[in-house]
Amino acid sequence: MQLDFKARELTIKLVYYGPALSGKTTNLQAIHQLVSPGVAGRLMTLETKDDRTLFFDLLPLTLTAGSGLQVRVKLFTVPGQVIHKSTRRLVLQGADGVAFIADSQRSETKANAQSFTDLRKNLKDNGLDAAAMPLVIQFNKRDLPDIRSDEEIDALATRGKEPVYKAIAIRGVGVLETLVGLMRITWARLEASHQLADKFGVEGEPLLAELRRHLGMEGAPGAVR
Amino acid sequence: MSGGLADLTLADVTRLEDIVDKGALTEVCRSFFDLFSLPIRVFSNDGALLADVHETREICRYVNTLSEGRRACSTRVTEVKALAPRGGAVEHPCFTGAVYRVVPIAYQGRMLGRFVVGPYFPAETREVPRSLLVLDPALDREAARSALAEMPRVREETAERIADHLTRILDLIIFSGHRAFLTSEMHVASVRESFRELTEKNEQLQEAFDKLQELDRLKSNFLATVSHELRTPLTSIIGYSDMLATGIAGELNEEQAEFVETIRGKGDHLLALISSLLDLGKLEQGKLRVKREPMNVELLVAEVAKTLAPLAQKRDVSIRVEVDGGLPDISADAVRIRQVLYNLTENAVKFSPDGDAVTLGARLVELEADDDDDMGFVLMAGTRSAVELSVSDRGPGIPTDEQERVFDAFYQVDGSSTREHGGTGLGLSIVKRLVEAHGGSVWVESVVGEGATFRFTIPEADDA
Ligand SMILES: Nc1nc2c(ncn2[C@@H]2O[C@H](COP(=O)(O)OP(=O)(O)O)[C@@H](O)[C@H]2O)c(=O)[nH]1
Ligand SMILES: [Mg+2]
Repeated sequence: MQLDFKARELTIKLVYYGPALSGKTTNLQAIHQLVSPGVAGRLMTLETKDDRTLFFDLLPLTLTAGSGLQVRVKLFTVPGQVIHKSTRRLVLQGADGVAFIADSQRSETKANAQSFTDLRKNLKDNGLDAAAMPLVIQFNKRDLPDIRSDEEIDALATRGKEPVYKAIAIRGVGVLETLVGLMRITWARLEASHQLADKFGVEGEPLLAELRRHLGMEGAPGAVR
Repeated sequence: MSGGLADLTLADVTRLEDIVDKGALTEVCRSFFDLFSLPIRVFSNDGALLADVHETREICRYVNTLSEGRRACSTRVTEVKALAPRGGAVEHPCFTGAVYRVVPIAYQGRMLGRFVVGPYFPAETREVPRSLLVLDPALDREAARSALAEMPRVREETAERIADHLTRILDLIIFSGHRAFLTSEMHVASVRESFRELTEKNEQLQEAFDKLQELDRLKSNFLATVSHELRTPLTSIIGYSDMLATGIAGELNEEQAEFVETIRGKGDHLLALISSLLDLGKLEQGKLRVKREPMNVELLVAEVAKTLAPLAQKRDVSIRVEVDGGLPDISADAVRIRQVLYNLTENAVKFSPDGDAVTLGARLVELEADDDDDMGFVLMAGTRSAVELSVSDRGPGIPTDEQERVFDAFYQVDGSSTREHGGTGLGLSIVKRLVEAHGGSVWVESVVGEGATFRFTIPEADDA
């Protein structure tokens, strides 16, 4: 997080993490399409010829919170390929929250777990407390055959402590819920450590309401728990 | 370069000049000028002029020939330069009746600078404004009028559209510049990061290598000393007492035979102790190589049960086997894992009451996360399994507060049991190290008076 008192500007960094091809870029594309114009900037993709993310994708969102504070939310993706380890660590630097995008296909279960282990390690290497990092998990590609079942995920989700969302990112399903869910716990964490309400008169709930409004999702469902 | 790492981690831009090429900017402004005859200047946040395409207008030239005109003009220009609108475009009138349109340049929710279109003459204005006419007593109205006529005339709405268009083009230029900037910064940062990583690994390797060499030297000395200085004379002691026992050196009376037997027994014990110490030494130095290969658990259990059957029979103890069907192979060092199970089973037989049973079990379990929290449970669950082997007896058991310490070297539940049951006190510590060398863990569950169950896990092979 970066705070510029003079410019009344707050910048929050959210990182979309996960194995290669789980749908991180697709999530950002969907958000870019769904968010009201003027709130999202251009989606920047630093990719190689084969469409794989080389360094990161970046989608900037700008919200105006109560009392005129400008809240800039920067959504990043990391390259999932194993070889881009050092890039992932770089992109993860200064993250305020992480959305872990898992591929629901059974065949990807191990790849998800490996990527998650990698996430923990990179958080630790960056000197971040993994257990304290705001984290949500999204099971993407719910439209495909041979995926882990709803019952299975729901059962595990009740035992785990992170909010879990299900999504079909190519159709924009569940993508916004994931983003809002992550914003909610990230804001709570930032509020706890920086007293944003005291300093700026900005409360989390109105800000989230503003975000939901720009995402066109008043009253949308929350986490699948 | 700009704000450094903070800017890179947030992919932020603080200065326009960091990411746009002045030449490209000027080129765009020039093409606007060619199309619409409108002067355009681009300023960064701190007022630096980044692009400037204009031709001095006749009216400006004329006004500047007058002393009052010169003063007024320079005041106006200073005012325009100082304008830094945030919300949207603002118009600033000149005393000539012309206007400047100042438009903010925002990117990713941040102000990066502004561009100024003008001066131009609003098409809607017909009259020569009074402010011009009264400017300077020396002003020649006709000259002013004809100079003004040469000024580009633009309708308000057109001016707005042109400014919007330029805003969009600038946004694209900034975006592409930003992307190129980030790409090169990330290239550099990645290379630096990889270099740092490699250097770190190199240092660690060198350190480990140096340490290993030193350990290796120490270990060789230690092993040589132990095996030579202790084992050699001990073998003689055992050998000679053996010979005495067989009566080679003359018949022994009952008491003598008993003493010799004791000497031999203690000698054997000492030899076992030394062998264990050697094993422990190897394990301690991480020298023990674990050669993993797929191994069938059912066979392993059956084999150990069979090997220990004669010992068990002596005390009428039976060995029961309860292995779940369909267990996957474990990836383990056959010799070492057999040693572990053998050790535990032998102990169980020793501590088992006469005529009772010892149970060997094996089942599939899911490995819990290796950290003490359950972070990412939904992702990690079921991705790592292991085979858990267990050995149960109904002997005296181990008190709760001692259940961890039993795995310490030389620990005995009570001092007497070594003597009574003939162990070296090293068995369990070796078991623990062997299991851990396989990436597993071992623990004991016990209720005093009801027996003890030792369990250890061997993780499934990592197929990644
Ligand atoms: N069927 C299906 N395909 C998806 C979904 N989300 C993403 N994909 C596809 O998965 C592939 C990888 O997605 P991408 O967003 O580039 O993955 P990334 O490597 O995590 O950025 C692309 O071909 C996407 O179209 C989904 O919900 N359902
Ligand atoms: Mg991608």
